[in-house]
Amino acid sequence: MTDSALRLPRRASRKRKEGRSRWGENNLAGYLFISPWLIAFFAFAFIPMVLSFALAFTDYHILRGWNFIGLDNFQRMFYNDVRYWRSVSATVKYVVFAVPLRLVFALGVAMLLNTNRRGVAFYRAAFYAPSVVGASVAVAVMWREVFNREGLVNAILGQFGQSSIWWLGHPDYAIWTLILLAAWQFGSPMLIFLAGLKQIPEQLYESASIDGANGIQKFVRITLPLLTPVIFFNLIMQLIAGFMTFTQAFIITNGSGRPLDTTLFYALYVYKRGFETYEMGYASAMAWVMLAVIALLTAIVFRTSSHWVYYETDEGI
Amino acid sequence: MMKTKKGWLITLLVLVAMILPGAAALGQDETVELRMAWWGSQTRHDQTIAVIELYKEQNPNVEIIYEFSNWDDHWTKLATQAAGGDLPDIIQHDYQRIQEWVTNDQLLPLDPFIESGVIDVSNIAEASLAGGRVNEQLYGFNLGNNSETFIIDVDLLEQAGIEIPPIDWTWDDFEEIALKIHEELGIYAIGGNLHYSEHWKGTYITCCDAYAYNAEGDGLGYTEEQDQYFVDYLNLIKDLIDAGAIPPIEETIARTGLSVEDAYIVTQQAAMEYGWSNMLVAVWNAAGEDRTFIEHSVPSMADGYPRNYIKPSMFWSISKNSDHPEEAAKFIDFFTNSVEANEIMMAERGVPISSAVREALLPQLNPAQQAMFDFLGAVEDYNSPIRPPDPVAHGDINSNVYLAQVVEPFLYGQMSAEEAVALLRQEAEILLAQ
Repeated sequence: MTDSALRLPRRASRKRKEGRSRWGENNLAGYLFISPWLIAFFAFAFIPMVLSFALAFTDYHILRGWNFIGLDNFQRMFYNDVRYWRSVSATVKYVVFAVPLRLVFALGVAMLLNTNRRGVAFYRAAFYAPSVVGASVAVAVMWREVFNREGLVNAILGQFGQSSIWWLGHPDYAIWTLILLAAWQFGSPMLIFLAGLKQIPEQLYESASIDGANGIQKFVRITLPLLTPVIFFNLIMQLIAGFMTFTQAFIITNGSGRPLDTTLFYALYVYKRGFETYEMGYASAMAWVMLAVIALLTAIVFRTSSHWVYYETDEGI
Repeated sequence: MMKTKKGWLITLLVLVAMILPGAAALGQDETVELRMAWWGSQTRHDQTIAVIELYKEQNPNVEIIYEFSNWDDHWTKLATQAAGGDLPDIIQHDYQRIQEWVTNDQLLPLDPFIESGVIDVSNIAEASLAGGRVNEQLYGFNLGNNSETFIIDVDLLEQAGIEIPPIDWTWDDFEEIALKIHEELGIYAIGGNLHYSEHWKGTYITCCDAYAYNAEGDGLGYTEEQDQYFVDYLNLIKDLIDAGAIPPIEETIARTGLSVEDAYIVTQQAAMEYGWSNMLVAVWNAAGEDRTFIEHSVPSMADGYPRNYIKPSMFWSISKNSDHPEEAAKFIDFFTNSVEANEIMMAERGVPISSAVREALLPQLNPAQQAMFDFLGAVEDYNSPIRPPDPVAHGDINSNVYLAQVVEPFLYGQMSAEEAVALLRQEAEILLAQ
């Protein structure tokens, strides 16, 4: 063990000396090995991104070609497009409610599952299942049926004498069906929370119990602080996912943004401008604004993190 | 050094292996390959594929590669293909969109193929072709005649003690009938969709012999004083909703995207349904043979012009980048004039435009097809002329202005009909002027 650890750097340095001329060739082989990934990355991610950035400053229409129009797309977006602001407000409302709800659910269920009761593995799988099929069309279609006129929700409310409601057609309710769907799909943050909970040393709870702390005190004083790095990670991931929500609205409200554009999520509107009216230039500009906003929000969350995220050090325990 | 060389050799071999299949394909060029795309229902897919198989049987040198989808996906796919210069040779096209595609130089004029006799039009009335002309040239070949219709459930109307109205009935007649149906049977008079932009366009056809758009497509086709006609129409719809005779907007919107099996005319929750005439076949199919339907005209304005016009249901178009336009035209000819092919399709895309085909099909029609033929026959004697294809901006106006900012906010009670129609004028004019 000590032997090889000592020898390794020496060997590496020798190799570097005699092999300087072969350095490039060796790397080339490496690049060749990762070339499938590299090619796909450039073809499907990097080049399209560069192109879309360039297109954001054009009036590119799929059937028509493009002209450079400077910042006109952004001006149009901010000052002349009523539906743009509706899509912003729908998206913000969704993120503000759906993300915290999902995180709270995820943490709650993770805590319930962080026990050693019999059958807990089954429950973990069961609660994770909705997220495995999360972004899938099937779940969205099922959700639409649940909130249908003859659906589950109306059937339950009917038991209490409530007359049926057209959930997906009502401007006050439609977005809540989507928020609830998001909350229900808490699987992946839940798994991450669960992993985080398992990291918390059992001794802390034991000594807290000896000191006479109750469940709430333990949660607030031990669980939450030690979980903040995980909460931080989940918050960032879910924030980004929330802003980019597409499938659910695309299926559940038929990609229309109806009723009254209350479910016209930003990504959906980008899609509609790009593929329904063929205004790719305008759609690209909108996409880049979203990227900038997400980056900004992420940066803000990162900045604030030093005030509330608690990282254990080795000396900490 | 040795090792690196070997590495290169292997890499090279892998690359060659990857390219080889493509290179092999270049060699064989005896058969003509046509690509084709359409939208539609499963019935249409099955029928069209059967016709393609028949054509390939008779023309072994032609290979037809087809892709089909629903309406939305069809246009999304075409848009990306157009951007890549990779459009299918034969495209199913639509009256609302063809202007945009021609203006942007994506389609090939078909007149040369008619002149050279590749497409035989000897059994086709000029009126049936006219809808496919843009700037005097034929870009869309009509796949069948269609007209807007109110499908009527004859039995339900009888139960309500209402006579079938005359073909020139008015919106006042409709209002009276609708209220009576609701009163007598407790169901909706009509399944909905009376807020579609077809009714905006139709209002100006029937009131004023005008159209929503002007002939140049750079402005509205009706005056500010004539705004009142559409205000009246919207208020009529709202009154009927409030009376319970047609479904409220919440319901209509929550129900969008449902299949024909769930249509209220099928489930007997409505006595009528608005749509295009080729829809009846699917409706009747879903409703069952023991029901009885007819197709009826859409109401006109009192003392106005007929609302109905005869429209090409859809087109075949040939894309500009087609390598075999003549072969594509041959297929269009087959599709239009072959009795055998049309016996497979049985007027699913509307009433065939070839009189020879129509005659051959007549004895074989089922009740739904018969009702559609009867209706189109009646409209031939009572109609308004077809308007020029919608301007390029129509798609944008329809989804981003008409529905999102005007008609739906009005129906949700956010603005008055006057405000809605004034806003429509203001916003549409901006987009049309661009």
